[in-house]
Amino acid sequence: MLLSSETMDVSFVRKVEALSGTSVRRCFQCGKCSAGCPMATFMEHPPNRVVRLLQLGQWQRILAGRSIWYCASCETCSTRCPNKVHLSSIMDALRKLSWDDEGPSKESYVQLANKLFLQNIRTYGRQYELRLAAVFNVKSGQFLKDLMLGPKLITKGKLKMFHKKNKNMTEIEKIFSRIDEMRKNGEAL
Amino acid sequence: MSRIGVFICHCGENISRTVDVERVAAEVGKLPGVAFATDYKYMCSDPGQGLLKKAIREERLSHVVVAACSPRMHEKTFRKAVESAGLNPFLCEMANIREHCSWVHQDRKEATVKAIELVGMMVERVKKNRVLPTITVPVTKRALVIGGGIAGIQAALDIADAGYEVILVEREPSIGGHMAQLSETFPTLDCSQCIMTPKMVDVANHPRIRLYTYAEIERVEGYIGNFQVTVRRKARSVIEEKCTGCGVCMEKCPVKKIPNKFDQNLGMRPAIYVPFPQAVPNTPVIDRENCIKFKTGKCGVCRKVCGPGAVDYEQEDRLIVEPVGAIVVATGFDLYSIEEKPKGSPIKGYGEFGHGRIPDVIDGMTFERLASASGPTGGKILRPSDGREPKQIVFIQCVGSRAREKGISYCSKICCMYTAKHTMLYHHKVHDGQAYVFFMDARTPGKNYDEFWRRSIEEEEAVYIRGMVSRLYQKGDKIVVMGSDIAVGVQVEIEADMVVLATAVQPQKGADALAQKLGISYDKYNFYSEAHAKLRPVECATAGIYLAGACQGPKDIPDTVSQASAAAAKVIILFARDQLEREPIVARVREAGCVGCFYCKKVCPYGAVEEKEIRDRQGNLVKVVAYVNPGVCGGCGTCQATCPSKSVELDGYTDEQIVAMIEAL
Repeated sequence: MLLSSETMDVSFVRKVEALSGTSVRRCFQCGKCSAGCPMATFMEHPPNRVVRLLQLGQWQRILAGRSIWYCASCETCSTRCPNKVHLSSIMDALRKLSWDDEGPSKESYVQLANKLFLQNIRTYGRQYELRLAAVFNVKSGQFLKDLMLGPKLITKGKLKMFHKKNKNMTEIEKIFSRIDEMRKNGEAL
Repeated sequence: MSRIGVFICHCGENISRTVDVERVAAEVGKLPGVAFATDYKYMCSDPGQGLLKKAIREERLSHVVVAACSPRMHEKTFRKAVESAGLNPFLCEMANIREHCSWVHQDRKEATVKAIELVGMMVERVKKNRVLPTITVPVTKRALVIGGGIAGIQAALDIADAGYEVILVEREPSIGGHMAQLSETFPTLDCSQCIMTPKMVDVANHPRIRLYTYAEIERVEGYIGNFQVTVRRKARSVIEEKCTGCGVCMEKCPVKKIPNKFDQNLGMRPAIYVPFPQAVPNTPVIDRENCIKFKTGKCGVCRKVCGPGAVDYEQEDRLIVEPVGAIVVATGFDLYSIEEKPKGSPIKGYGEFGHGRIPDVIDGMTFERLASASGPTGGKILRPSDGREPKQIVFIQCVGSRAREKGISYCSKICCMYTAKHTMLYHHKVHDGQAYVFFMDARTPGKNYDEFWRRSIEEEEAVYIRGMVSRLYQKGDKIVVMGSDIAVGVQVEIEADMVVLATAVQPQKGADALAQKLGISYDKYNFYSEAHAKLRPVECATAGIYLAGACQGPKDIPDTVSQASAAAAKVIILFARDQLEREPIVARVREAGCVGCFYCKKVCPYGAVEEKEIRDRQGNLVKVVAYVNPGVCGGCGTCQATCPSKSVELDGYTDEQIVAMIEAL
């Protein structure tokens, strides 16, 4: 890893700091976040290393990996951090920046799932799981993925065959269009 | 018949765990001459001492043996207790059944037998102890301070302000030491010169401080309260009383290109010079090695231009003897260099960092001179090689320190903080530059220290990389730094314009030679040893000599100033008395047996043996015998061991007593 003013992308770090509202430089690498993270075993960069790479301006390494998508946003790290670094906000910011970049992440299905999830809510006012699963399988090209789970879930009543729209669709649409507007004006993420 | 009292201490469990103290008391109580024997949990505690005093009074004891720890620890305590109960303190002896018995044995039975024998020996010895009167010696109420850095300056000012005369001896032409070289100081970033120079002037103007610069300690004789110190005032070639400090000589000197040590050899000075413009005293000195007059006999410009006629080429070293009562040693530190060291030296250099041959790899003090407004670059940070401003700068901590392989295993204590300060100074002066720091640990204990270090990262944007640098090499006009970030677990390479090494703090060169003159002890690195690491941190084991500053171990300015004031307080405590009481354990000569061979005089490390003439009533010389000056005698017993006619004996350690102890076994 060659370090220089050019290879360390400070502007990206500033973006993360602005989005998350927390200082990246403040972290002194005690490792408490990684010690308590329930998902750390699945990550190639444990939480403390994500911050360390950010400090060195090596964001490509973070976004190329899956660590930020495994983060469950449980906020254990933020709660326990001795130095008031809000790591889960940093993770949120990184996911947002990855999204904006149209996913340099290898885990692009995550983004697809996220998009479909929000679309469903905008259309139905609540989640319509069967449709979500079906569209996800089609769009991701994995037609038979988890198919055998379907009947079980349906018989147990966990998966509804038919959807029921939310009564307050106009209100929900208001929320979505307001966020769109705010994004356009740069007032929201 | 003596009535001896024996007091056996459990030392909590330290002794009683291994030694059956009750049995010891019972067995010892049967010994002839022992009138009373008991044991107690903590003999040194207030109730323990009370027990001792009560027994002395009620049992009418004539001698006391305390079987407990080493006499180094509590002999004074118990002798004091004995004295307060009305006995002569030197009729009390200690048997060491902790260090010499319980701590070194496991078998309870055998340890108990040994403890009984140790106590039995002491019982026999104490029977033959004499009542010794305390010896008093006068105190010369003048202090000597060696070293004119911030430690010496602070100690000298404090002692002088208390009303005592001080002699301050500095090896260099000016006082000020390393602190005068610094740019700004952590953790407040105030300019070193601004806080230092007023103190230097105070020293020069103080009516009770006599300042000898360009001088060294030649010889130290005597003892606490009564030292005779010989100071060598090196030939300055300029008469201090006549010189006005106008500086014309320096302007006119034809030799101008001598690297100035004060500027870490970055700046130049003439052959007649003051090390820096704010020097105290502002009297130049002629560097005889580089002066044309001294090399060839021609020139003599400085004498011609000197109005008051202060230049004196014929001046010679002068030896001055000063009587003093106390000595404060404040000789300070020197910096380790990565250069190759001579073969066989316990300290090694850094081949992997180029052995100091890469011009833009500098040490912390050189960076200080670059960053200093009064430095050779006027405060601009420029590369020594080509004078360009470095845009990528790398700092490496723990160079030499904590490096057992290089011969130094201690932490130099100040580098973490001054490196953090360096990154700030750099950021303030080179706005488009980037500072990197390779470090193993950041050690910042101290008031506002950690906050200062974090500020260098969080606000001044220094990039700290945890991991030691493995190698440095020149590539074009860059220096490639090969390190690793152990938090990420990757190798890191930086092409730097300049590298600053936080090199280890070492004692001043010649520290061991001075220690030998003073008779004080030092460790394997030549740092001076304090009498007790925790409870007597500013005193030497040699009475009357005190330590201040980095000569004792790496120290920053706040710690140094604190210790200097503490040492001054110790000196003032000593001077508050007109006479000193000292232990009367001294050697005495049996004049009838002495044949006057004076072997004792040759071996005495304190110079206490004198020659004494014995005359008959008509005044005819009968013989010359040895006489031990009780004020000077250190009570080591070397004379006793040397004397061929067995005519000199140390009180409390007479042959008779030693034989009695052996026979008790």
